[in-house]
Amino acid sequence: MPKITLDNDTFEFEGRPKLLQFCLESGVDLPHFCYHPSMSAPANCRQCLVEVGMPQINRETGQPNLDESGQPIIQYMPKLQTSCSMDVADGMVVKSHRSSELVKRAQKDNLEFLLINHPLDCPICDQAGHCPLQNQTYKHGPEGSRFEFRKVGKPKHIDLGPNVVLDGERCINCTRCIRFTREISKSNQLTIIERGVKNYPMTPPGVEFDEPYSMNVIDICPVGALTSKDARFRARIWEMSKTASISTVNAKGSNCYYWVKDNKIVQITPRTNMDVNEYWLADEDRLDYHKFNDNRPTGPSISGAQVSWEAAYKAASDCLSGVDGSRILFLGSATATVEDNYLLTKLAAKVGASTPMYLAHRKEGHGDNWLRTDDRTPNAQGCERLGMKVADVAALKARISNGEVDVLHVLEDDVVASGVCTAAELAGVKVVLHYYNTTNETLSAADVAIPAAMAVETVGTVVNEQGHAQRLRPAKAIADVNRTLSMEIGKCRADRHGTPFDKWYEEANLINCQPGWVSLPGIASGLGLELNYKGPRQIIEELSSSNDAFAGLSYEGMGELGVRLSEQGVTA
Amino acid sequence: MGDFIKHPVVDMPERMPAPAIEADKLVFTDDEKKQMKTWVSRYPTADGAIMRGLWLAQEKFGFLPPEVIQLVANEIGIPYANAYGVATFYTQYFKEKKGKHVLDICTCFSCQLCGGYDMLHYIEEKLGVHKGETTKDGLFTIQEAECLGACGSAPMLQITNGPFVHNLNKEKVDALLDALKEDKIPAFTSVTLPQDEDEMGGNRRSDVSSIESYSVRPVSETLS
Repeated sequence: MPKITLDNDTFEFEGRPKLLQFCLESGVDLPHFCYHPSMSAPANCRQCLVEVGMPQINRETGQPNLDESGQPIIQYMPKLQTSCSMDVADGMVVKSHRSSELVKRAQKDNLEFLLINHPLDCPICDQAGHCPLQNQTYKHGPEGSRFEFRKVGKPKHIDLGPNVVLDGERCINCTRCIRFTREISKSNQLTIIERGVKNYPMTPPGVEFDEPYSMNVIDICPVGALTSKDARFRARIWEMSKTASISTVNAKGSNCYYWVKDNKIVQITPRTNMDVNEYWLADEDRLDYHKFNDNRPTGPSISGAQVSWEAAYKAASDCLSGVDGSRILFLGSATATVEDNYLLTKLAAKVGASTPMYLAHRKEGHGDNWLRTDDRTPNAQGCERLGMKVADVAALKARISNGEVDVLHVLEDDVVASGVCTAAELAGVKVVLHYYNTTNETLSAADVAIPAAMAVETVGTVVNEQGHAQRLRPAKAIADVNRTLSMEIGKCRADRHGTPFDKWYEEANLINCQPGWVSLPGIASGLGLELNYKGPRQIIEELSSSNDAFAGLSYEGMGELGVRLSEQGVTA
Repeated sequence: MGDFIKHPVVDMPERMPAPAIEADKLVFTDDEKKQMKTWVSRYPTADGAIMRGLWLAQEKFGFLPPEVIQLVANEIGIPYANAYGVATFYTQYFKEKKGKHVLDICTCFSCQLCGGYDMLHYIEEKLGVHKGETTKDGLFTIQEAECLGACGSAPMLQITNGPFVHNLNKEKVDALLDALKEDKIPAFTSVTLPQDEDEMGGNRRSDVSSIESYSVRPVSETLS
């Protein structure tokens, strides 16, 4: 196998990777700003410079020339090379900043050039704390500036589009955003305008940067030039905890990080998963987080009056007991996890009702075969695999208006807003409702209303449109959960490095709600059905052995990136 | 560039400007379209033809407002943003309306030392406008240019991205402006360097008959 030497360590490689990518994968942390693995390499930031040499070959014999000690003589290229645009070759010898003073010097000097016109905005810049330019300057940069002239002033806080704000001065013209719109999203809405010291990225006149994936440029911007209009100035990076989870806005199941401050979701950013969303996240996934924070319930209630959890469970099981199973209608939810829907099917079977159905939430024509889908729910495929079918709204409407339903048990959905019936039509029906937000229109007709934990507060599995099963992790705490004891909840810097006295966050905004895998067993026990699971992990264990569609599925197997499910369970 | 060093602030172009050219005039003729297609076919990708396309449009419309750049981009078949980036990169593409004759007076090192600024200021005074401005009659725009590559015949100027006028002095400027007012644009002139004067009758170029001799100008008034 071909070999390459990086700073005296020899590595084997396959194919023709780019040198920078190979170094990063081999643990050599070469600095870079303009290179991005999914896009072309323009080699314009000049940070990834390395010394590159090849063995000197004797032209007559075709063999490498050897020095006195019998080692091949290495012929270095006369100038430093940009590793991002260089193909790895057999026998190549590379010296990075770890072993070459020349490379170190080049990085430092190039940084000095980049910083000439870069403003000292760091204390108010949203990128500070996770800024490649800042990190690189701290690690390898010059001590001070030797530039004695006024820095160039460029347009600041320009709204490029509805979601992205430009600060032209901070830009180092790496052109990552330009290449994103040219090569990835293909909207071609950005370009570098002007030249030399005056250039910066901009939309051409008459064009707004309003494509549905515009906010990805914020993540790939290596400085704070492009920031989120929604999230800017709301929280510093070190004040937030981040949790690796799944976006639930559509059926793509894009991997994301939920950023939480004071138990409120502040921001959603993409998480790399090459099987699902690669490096990207649609704007709709990022901006639809206010539902997690606002209009949340304060606790369970019976006919509008607040009660204890025990009383609510008791009331719900009373609703379900003593009624003929055929007159009870269970509605699952494509928004709820596989685990919760599974428990609902067990509950329905216990009272003799037919298998729960679920309401489809589709917006035809919205999908684009990339990260946005027609389906506006994250788990329709999970419901299908549990044997649940999409509810026929007209048939349901008829059943309810004909008085064929005595009890309606709705898991984390809104029948009134979905057009199944009006709140008035539910007057004669006992309604048990698991709900997320107080804006739920079915709430006024609910006899027992049970606040449910949302995707950012629960543990569970969702299956995306392609059958990719992935795990939700709790990003923020709810009333019963201690976030420092819950291992799943992401940590912020104070959690990791602070003393017990460094409480930078408040234990406020705790929502009094319960995940379905807590509330459904609570209701079931009143009906004599003991669903004694330690947690969703155990539910999935049971499901993987009892349901072929989930065969082989486990929390360990899903890990952070999920697994692909076929009809016969986990595919190899 | 002088002002930019003292006051280095980059202005932003207007983002939603009103169109400067009426919609019904904003079309290429069939000949022009055919010409663009020929250019496109000469390059591996259509991007290659954008500069010639913009050049054609500037000759047709006089300058390149955004709607013209968009028209060219559509005609060539490349994204508007790419074409706009190219158009703003080059100073010789005029993004706003200029006078009939654009005088690019070189004030880069060689011309500066030989009196480039003297010529610039003389023209400014004579026409009554500052650099970057257009005279009221719409005849002249004065611009300060960086090196145009004719240091041997400094100071010099260029007329509307076209012919150079070499070895400037005040009399020459007067004569030039008078000629331009009558729409007489000077012909291309070859400058013969001293070492070539003995050869080939002093004209090494067979394609032009107009020759000017190299001469060393007096140094700039402000330096002497």
